Amino acid sequence: MKTTDLLVDIFLVLGVACQLVCCLGVLVFGNVFDRLHFAGAGTTLGPLLIGAAVLVRQTTSAAGITTIVIMVLILVLGPALLIATARAARRIEFGRIGATDQERGPG
Amino acid sequence: MNAFLIAATVLLVLLVLPGIVVVRGRPIDSIVALELCGTTITLVLLCLAEGFHRSAYFNVPLVSALCVWVGGLVFVRFVGRFR
Repeated sequence: MKTTDLLVDIFLVLGVACQLVCCLGVLVFGNVFDRLHFAGAGTTLGPLLIGAAVLVRQTTSAAGITTIVIMVLILVLGPALLIATARAARRIEFGRIGATDQERGPG
Repeated sequence: MNAFLIAATVLLVLLVLPGIVVVRGRPIDSIVALELCGTTITLVLLCLAEGFHRSAYFNVPLVSALCVWVGGLVFVRFVGRFR
């Protein structure tokens, strides 16, 4: 077994394991904000590792560059989408985006 | 069957977990699960493209990543209006 094959296998197993944890977290946790944490991790760790696995094979070919673009899109746009979702969830749950009086605390 | 095709198959099976939330959860919970589904589907398409050794297939996950983002924003925009 070559070193590149071993690297690909390691990256793929880790990436799929990350996605498994994120999918399980979204299913198990009941609060929308807890679910957002897992969905956020699903747009960073898993894609990075799986993208790295593809890049080990493709390096700087056209497919490799496309993979880099896909990774950048997921890593940049994913959290932006999650922030928009969190703002909508906040508006639905608490009626406003800012902190409530209870969250501000005394003083 | 190479490692990428196996990874794509496992990732496809994983879609069942957020899929349950999409079907049974509240609208905002369903959107969170749907966003995770979209990312996972993009990864599935990426693994399939590499698994089949076709460089032309790499355009599909690229379009998928963009569509998931735009679709998610549209859903969030409309669901945010309901309380």
